[in-house]
Amino acid sequence: MSAASASLWRQRLFGSPATGVVTLLLAAGIAWLAIPIIRWALIDASWSGTTRADCAAGGACWVFVKARFGQFMYGLYPQDQRWRADLAGILFALATAAIVFAPPRLRLKAAIAALVVLPALGIWLLAGGFGLRPVETREWGGLMLTLFISVYASLIAIPLGILLALGRQSQLKVVRLVSVLFIEFWRGVPIIAVIFLASLLLPLILPGGVGIDRLARAVIGLGLVIAAYMAEAVRGGLQALPPGQREAATALGLTYWKATGLIILPQALRISLPAMTNEFIALVKNTTLVLVVSILDLLGIAQASLADPAWVGMNMEAYVFSGSIYWLICFALSRWSRHLEMLGRRQHR
Amino acid sequence: MTKALALLNDKRVRDVVYQAALLLGLVALTVFFVRNASENMVKAGIASGFDFLWRNSGIDVPFVLTGYTRSSTVLDLFWAGVANTMLVTVVAMVLATALGFLVGIARLSSHWLLSTVAGAYIEFVRNIPLLFFVLFWYFGVIAALPAPRDSVSMFGVAFLNNRGLTIPLPEAPAVFRWAVAAILLSWIAQALVAAWARRRKERTGQDAPVLAIGVVLVLVLPALAVTWASLATGWDVPVLRGFNYRGGFVVIPEFVALLAALVTYTAGFIAEIVRGGIQAVPRGQTEAAAALGLRPGRILRLVTIPQALRVMIPPLTNQYLNVLKNSSFGAAIAYPDVVSLFMGSALNNTGQAIEIIAMTLAVYLVIGLAVSAFMNWYNARIALVTR
Repeated sequence: MSAASASLWRQRLFGSPATGVVTLLLAAGIAWLAIPIIRWALIDASWSGTTRADCAAGGACWVFVKARFGQFMYGLYPQDQRWRADLAGILFALATAAIVFAPPRLRLKAAIAALVVLPALGIWLLAGGFGLRPVETREWGGLMLTLFISVYASLIAIPLGILLALGRQSQLKVVRLVSVLFIEFWRGVPIIAVIFLASLLLPLILPGGVGIDRLARAVIGLGLVIAAYMAEAVRGGLQALPPGQREAATALGLTYWKATGLIILPQALRISLPAMTNEFIALVKNTTLVLVVSILDLLGIAQASLADPAWVGMNMEAYVFSGSIYWLICFALSRWSRHLEMLGRRQHR
Repeated sequence: MTKALALLNDKRVRDVVYQAALLLGLVALTVFFVRNASENMVKAGIASGFDFLWRNSGIDVPFVLTGYTRSSTVLDLFWAGVANTMLVTVVAMVLATALGFLVGIARLSSHWLLSTVAGAYIEFVRNIPLLFFVLFWYFGVIAALPAPRDSVSMFGVAFLNNRGLTIPLPEAPAVFRWAVAAILLSWIAQALVAAWARRRKERTGQDAPVLAIGVVLVLVLPALAVTWASLATGWDVPVLRGFNYRGGFVVIPEFVALLAALVTYTAGFIAEIVRGGIQAVPRGQTEAAAALGLRPGRILRLVTIPQALRVMIPPLTNQYLNVLKNSSFGAAIAYPDVVSLFMGSALNNTGQAIEIIAMTLAVYLVIGLAVSAFMNWYNARIALVTR
């Protein structure tokens, strides 16, 4: 450390007596909290082995996570079929990368192509049929299911949310009223109740004999709620546009849908993108609620693994591992959203 | 023909046609759903209607604030659930606000380490699902607490263990009614004094000792009243008998876990709101106030906070409504809130899905609308008066 930066740090941490006291108190608190955690998670932890007997007392038993890694990722998905989930994940990642990094001219086409092909392809890969071995949704689980629910619920939520936001701004009174009622209703009720509601009511209101998959019910329920929140995120972008934009488009003779698609949405969505990303983060966090209808996503698998008699008392290991994965996903997304916001602010100037 | 075409090209006519089509579509969809539902319910042998509310519930609830017992009606069960939801919501709101303000102000501190620790806390809790915290507190922390024999004792009257928090219970709760009445009276007196002082200040420019009177009326008198009431009644202090505590009131572990999760999680969001609100006050405001000769404390009280509050209130309202909705996460650990009692247990017993779901959702919608209305009124009251 150079002399200049050393003096800077001394100024920062011990600039005045009061500052020094606060620094010492905080440092003591951090040490009191962090030292046992680091000892438990790293120093005293057991890393190698296959059974509970390989774990030393007092430290974390990461052997447990290693032994159950497959379950944490895929749930009870048949082991020899897990490549299908991997392939679906890779395809979605590639498509996202293609949309983000494509030249702006091709971006819309790439997005539409991905939206038409991928959802069906993904379901085919995961569920099977048509030449692939069928795998029931009961066997899906883990991180794979968390990502599946997040992606498919947002496939419902984003288009519906955009329509609702447009409806809320509409000149037509009935359209506006319907949109407002829809948005405020779903935003006013707890998501856990919506998941219960979807799993109980959807089979009831469909014609007798039409079965609907348990997982599909949860995805539809989540999609409808998140659509209401997405609508509010999009509304922010729509309201940020000067009214002259639509007026100019109308004056040029564009119809409502042409003006919306070519002039309004491209600009409004760019402004809304950070807010929409934040809603997506909320969606990823809320997928955990499917636990209440016994669908086992990443957190559900961690919770279920506590009941394994071969691995008694692994609560902390299961929570720390699953919690870190959620944190990494959400933190990365929130950083990206902040980056988008900065980018937008710079372009506006 | 041309007349019909002209009619179709008329914007007003087309608008009416579109809206009528939308309405018709929605009505058709509703009719379709309702017909299916009634057919399916007939098939399953479920009668519709609200008669079930007056039937005997037969459900045991481990944590009751109302007079509910297992021989009460289903409607009483509903109210017991609503009371439990309200209890955890209100306590969590208060504690989360306090913690959130502390963390938010620490985040803005000029002390580097303090601000970094606060920032780390915010980034940590905001990026993890709330359900994770609920399960973690319940199965990770509370379950790991010692058994009743080795409880964590708090001054020898309250005991924390893996069966919850046992607190002493007053033997004559009636005296507390007098204490509450005294507190309310002194708060009303404080409001009157403040209004009188403000009017006098506007008229004559003279200051009244509002702060001293306020401390006495808002803090000292209520503290005296509570102390008097605590001394006047006898206390049922929990005592260890065999394997568990007898006497006192047991706050169930589900409540403790849910409360801890709601408070730590929501505080992260409130902290960001506080930070944003204070940062939104332009620096020129504090500089101008300082140039006018105001002391730092008065700048904070008269210039910064009133303007920061105006920015903070809409997002804070949202957070409070989120706490209300998120209190339903208790259903995952069987905290007896309205969702888990009514939408869970009562629905399983009676099978009246539609009625029960409608009533449960109505609770949240009604409270949500009431809170929004109050906050809008408050917001309008403190809004900037522009000429």
